[in-house]
Amino acid sequence: MALVEVSGFKPYSELRGQIFPTKQTHLVDRTSHYAFGTKTQEFAVPLGVEPTGFLKSCSSDGGVNIDMNHGTTTLAFKFRHGVIVAVDSRASAGRYLASNDVNKVIEINPYLLGTMSGSAADCQYWERLLAKECRLYRLRNNHRISVAAASKLLSNMMLGYRGMGLSMGSMICGWDKEGPGLYYVDDNGTRLSGRMFSTGCGNGYAYGVVDSGYKEDMTVEEAYELGRRGIAHATHRDAYSGGVVNMYHMQEDGWIKVCKEDVSELIHRYRKGMF
Amino acid sequence: MALQDLCNFQDIFQDSLTKLCFLGTFEKNTACDYVSSLSTRSSTSLFNFYIPAAEYLDESPIQFGQISNIQSSSAISSQESILSPSSLPTSLPFASSQSVPLPFPMSHGTTTLAFMFQGGVLAAADTRSSCSGLVACPASQKILPIHSHLVGTTSGTSADCALWKRILARELRLYQLRHGRRLSTRGAAKLLSHMLHPFKGTELCVAATLCGWDGGEVDDGCHAGTVIDLRGRGGTTKSEMTDQEKYLDTLNEKVSLPETQSSTFSEQYFARKKVSFSGPGLFYVCSDGTRLQGTLFSVGSGSPYAYSILDQGVRWGLTVDEATSIAREAVYRATYRDAYSGNCVDIYHITSNGWTRRTREDLKEEYYREKERRRHEGRGRQDVTVSE
Repeated sequence: MALVEVSGFKPYSELRGQIFPTKQTHLVDRTSHYAFGTKTQEFAVPLGVEPTGFLKSCSSDGGVNIDMNHGTTTLAFKFRHGVIVAVDSRASAGRYLASNDVNKVIEINPYLLGTMSGSAADCQYWERLLAKECRLYRLRNNHRISVAAASKLLSNMMLGYRGMGLSMGSMICGWDKEGPGLYYVDDNGTRLSGRMFSTGCGNGYAYGVVDSGYKEDMTVEEAYELGRRGIAHATHRDAYSGGVVNMYHMQEDGWIKVCKEDVSELIHRYRKGMF
Repeated sequence: MALQDLCNFQDIFQDSLTKLCFLGTFEKNTACDYVSSLSTRSSTSLFNFYIPAAEYLDESPIQFGQISNIQSSSAISSQESILSPSSLPTSLPFASSQSVPLPFPMSHGTTTLAFMFQGGVLAAADTRSSCSGLVACPASQKILPIHSHLVGTTSGTSADCALWKRILARELRLYQLRHGRRLSTRGAAKLLSHMLHPFKGTELCVAATLCGWDGGEVDDGCHAGTVIDLRGRGGTTKSEMTDQEKYLDTLNEKVSLPETQSSTFSEQYFARKKVSFSGPGLFYVCSDGTRLQGTLFSVGSGSPYAYSILDQGVRWGLTVDEATSIAREAVYRATYRDAYSGNCVDIYHITSNGWTRRTREDLKEEYYREKERRRHEGRGRQDVTVSE
């Protein structure tokens, strides 16, 4: 399993250490690697630590309440001319705003994008891991990985650590042989294919806007405007979303970054004529 | 003053019967005596609620200690002494009192919204009453008219909302009879908020928006028809209204700037110099004590979905039809995504002439219409790819 390699935690690491010099153990390719860890479940959980017990102590009925707040708004929708991905850029730690300029879209490769919501650390780590796996797939099999397979990889990673307190809500968007692809992957292992998704605590606000304005045969400009509006109105009402709208457009020959617009200016523009 | 009536503070000026009652409380009456004297005045005292599960608490030494505490400290406002009879052994003002536990977890699923615009106030709500995953009633009424010019949307526990709306309606009617004019929306909100305050910390859950049009009514003294201010409201924009304001100023009439956005028109014929403002009023009142004035509110589990639609479209200068369609779309979007909202949509429009209700519309039709539309668009797309 990829993670096992990265962390170097192997049950037979000591065995290898006896055969090979210590420096080279991590370069050996094991056959089980191609099965992506499905045959043997190997995960880097330190011995003696029980994540589920720790999590229970963090919940309100268990003990001290550590609120894992997942503040963000991300949305993505498929339409005739591809996939639009729009995210906000605020990172919050409880009530403190850690940053207003975070990039919540990871560019896995020129034709695959992943969005991040939930715990920033979890998202960044696992999606970078996914990027590594996609690259390895390409090198080994001489063709690009499909969006369905990439999302499946990610969801299997999540399933392996299910119940251990990971927090990640991500949308994998891409364009492959089947056409535009959009999958929602969750820290529970949920993997859904769909036409439109929105994640984060501001998702309700985005859903209202995008549901209302969505048309399958929108022009590209209309789609850009819809994505912008969705994020802008969500950041207007949700305290944990804000910053700028980062928007990408996934086309047949790869993605392009459309814009990075400040949300307050957008809202000012939209709400002219308000009270 | 309504609040004074509530807490019976003006008893001293009233008839001897009430004086008896007032004195009675000071003298540590037995419970039955107290209740009988109270019943004669039960029309004004609000807090004679019979709380069924509270009998056994009468025996509790802690409880007993608290009650006797009230009676001894009668020097404090008479409001507290009213609250001490045997019908209320769970002393309501005390935060430590035990409330009746809920029989099952209530989920507060709904979508209600209200906003103000140049044509008055528009209130809209869905009609689904849910109870922990069961749709208890698909055709409930979440917007309850309180009087001819005031309507309240309800969210939270339906039973609580319905009861408190009726109580509010009763109190407003009494106010109107006593003082000859309707209580303003602001006053009604304050009244409701103060009535709910003793129940803070209990399981009571009421989140209501009060939407109303404040009078242009004249006092009883002069009936010289002065509905002057209200007629012009229908189509005026904000700028026109401020012009009228300035005009009235030049007439040397004191025009007090209103707390709400609506402009002020003072009466031109008056016996005494009384200034009242008329116009739409919108207030949000919650059982946890929140009382907010605003121009746009949405309450309930479906409110995020509705908020974004409303933020997009609501402006002061909307026509009534545009406002209705925005409200309808907002409720529809909320019912589309929220499991606890659904079925039909009710829309009430409040103007200077009172409230009017639009026929209840089943959103199922809208859903199917939209599905057809999407299918058409999808088909168009397929045709294009095939022809390429």
